[in-house]
Amino acid sequence: MYFPYFATYMIVGLGLALLVAGWALHNGQFGDQQRARFLPLAGDPPATDAPALTRRGRLEVYGLALVVAIGLAGTVAVLAFALLSG
Amino acid sequence: MSATGKLQPEPYETARAFCITSAFWMVVATFMGLLGATELIAPDIVRIGWLHFGRIRPVHVNLVLFGFVTPGLLGAVFYFVPRLLRTELYSERLGLVTAGFWNIALVAAVSTLLAGATQGREYAEMIWPVDLLVVMVFILVFINLIMTVARRREPLLYVSVWYACAAIALTGATYVLGNVVWVPDTGSLVGIPDAILLWFYGHNIFGLLLTPLSLGVAYYVIPKACRNPLYSHTLSLVGFWSLFVVYTHIGTHHLLQVPVPTWLKVISIVDSIGMVIPVMVVLINLWYTAQGRLGEIHADVGAKFVFTGTIMYFFASIQGSMMALPQVQRVTHFNNWVVGHAHIGVLAFSGMIALGGLYFVLPRIAGRPLHSRLLADLQYWLVLLGSAGFAVVLTIVGLIQGQAWLNGETVYRVLPSLYPYYVLRASLGAILFSSAVIGFYNVFRTLYGQRGAAA
Repeated sequence: MYFPYFATYMIVGLGLALLVAGWALHNGQFGDQQRARFLPLAGDPPATDAPALTRRGRLEVYGLALVVAIGLAGTVAVLAFALLSG
Repeated sequence: MSATGKLQPEPYETARAFCITSAFWMVVATFMGLLGATELIAPDIVRIGWLHFGRIRPVHVNLVLFGFVTPGLLGAVFYFVPRLLRTELYSERLGLVTAGFWNIALVAAVSTLLAGATQGREYAEMIWPVDLLVVMVFILVFINLIMTVARRREPLLYVSVWYACAAIALTGATYVLGNVVWVPDTGSLVGIPDAILLWFYGHNIFGLLLTPLSLGVAYYVIPKACRNPLYSHTLSLVGFWSLFVVYTHIGTHHLLQVPVPTWLKVISIVDSIGMVIPVMVVLINLWYTAQGRLGEIHADVGAKFVFTGTIMYFFASIQGSMMALPQVQRVTHFNNWVVGHAHIGVLAFSGMIALGGLYFVLPRIAGRPLHSRLLADLQYWLVLLGSAGFAVVLTIVGLIQGQAWLNGETVYRVLPSLYPYYVLRASLGAILFSSAVIGFYNVFRTLYGQRGAAA
């Protein structure tokens, strides 16, 4: 008999989540989202033009893009292999 | 400690403690991984009972989870939560005590597991007394964070604070439930219900601890490094709430070939596919924030780690959704493909972001530049090479095993074809161990070395 564990956990979890969400709503946490976007930047100097990538930086981006391409190709290959192999 | 009385801990002392904890245990964890991988190609290489593969493997897994990645992420959390809330951490002293108990729990975990004291449940091997220590440190972390939130001067909670607090609170609950702490003798239920509970735990210890902590760090570091506001805070909150609605139910997708109730399998499959929503919400938000500012990302080694971690999050997540399809899973499950998936998730995604958060905050909490940017860059490439290599090698091994199993091939006839890949796997483990040693040296010298001017 395992349902009581899961049911209790789900009810308690749902109850707590609703409480927290209710608190957030009441507390104005979903308002002024424009200001929230800037919170990590508080105290930082204003942004300047982004520096151009250095040659080494560009090489690193190409390297990372290669890893991404290999990863995507591998994922597609696994999917195709699994679906087509009978 | 302050220069005068040596009584009051300095600001960010907790963050420092967790950073050095992470760097140290990464060395031990990767060594255990390397040793385990070596034993897979040369089973008799170590003739010591307590270093047998069956004991090394859980030590490796638990140390990566609780020794390397979680403390690394917490190092960044204990830095950015007070800053985002425009206040000080509730108690640096409590933070230091927590870090102390955290390390005691890790030593206890390693000692007991190597001694053969285990609950024998994958990812939940640690025995009851160690479980209690783990729960205790999560409670201590939560008290410190929630009291900091209560004393904040900034009324709005940035999404990183939401993620950090939720991760710690939910993990405390998940850990208690998943380790069945109300049954101290075995730490388990009986039969299929235990399997369901175990995979609820095994999946959520990643999805409700490492994922939210990592996303919290990424949401702080990327806007900060790019000096660009977050693309959309509303979108980030949509991602936050949808993650917790969807993620909690998907552990059973590891049991699709097991006689668990069908309704539970259906929920796990539907929600696994549904994970595409919170994942893409996060990634679109972060990548739009960084759009056109890759130069800034590249200029900060911490941000570089974090940004790469977000790319790996994409891979780990689409793999997870894909694996939940029964047609795909009959080839990819119960073999090394899942081990590869776990390495992409825990090492390439969360591990990368943990290292990124650590390198991002280190100069700020140490008050001096990194000891060596070159060594940090070197570690970045070694970790990327190691984790991408793991993904490729373990995927190949998994497909060989999966296809052989489907064809009714016997295990002993398949093993020789896996051997070269296991050699590659051990080599990649050596690369990661080297990267951990380099990282520990760099972190230690940055925090405690004499070199460098005050920032």
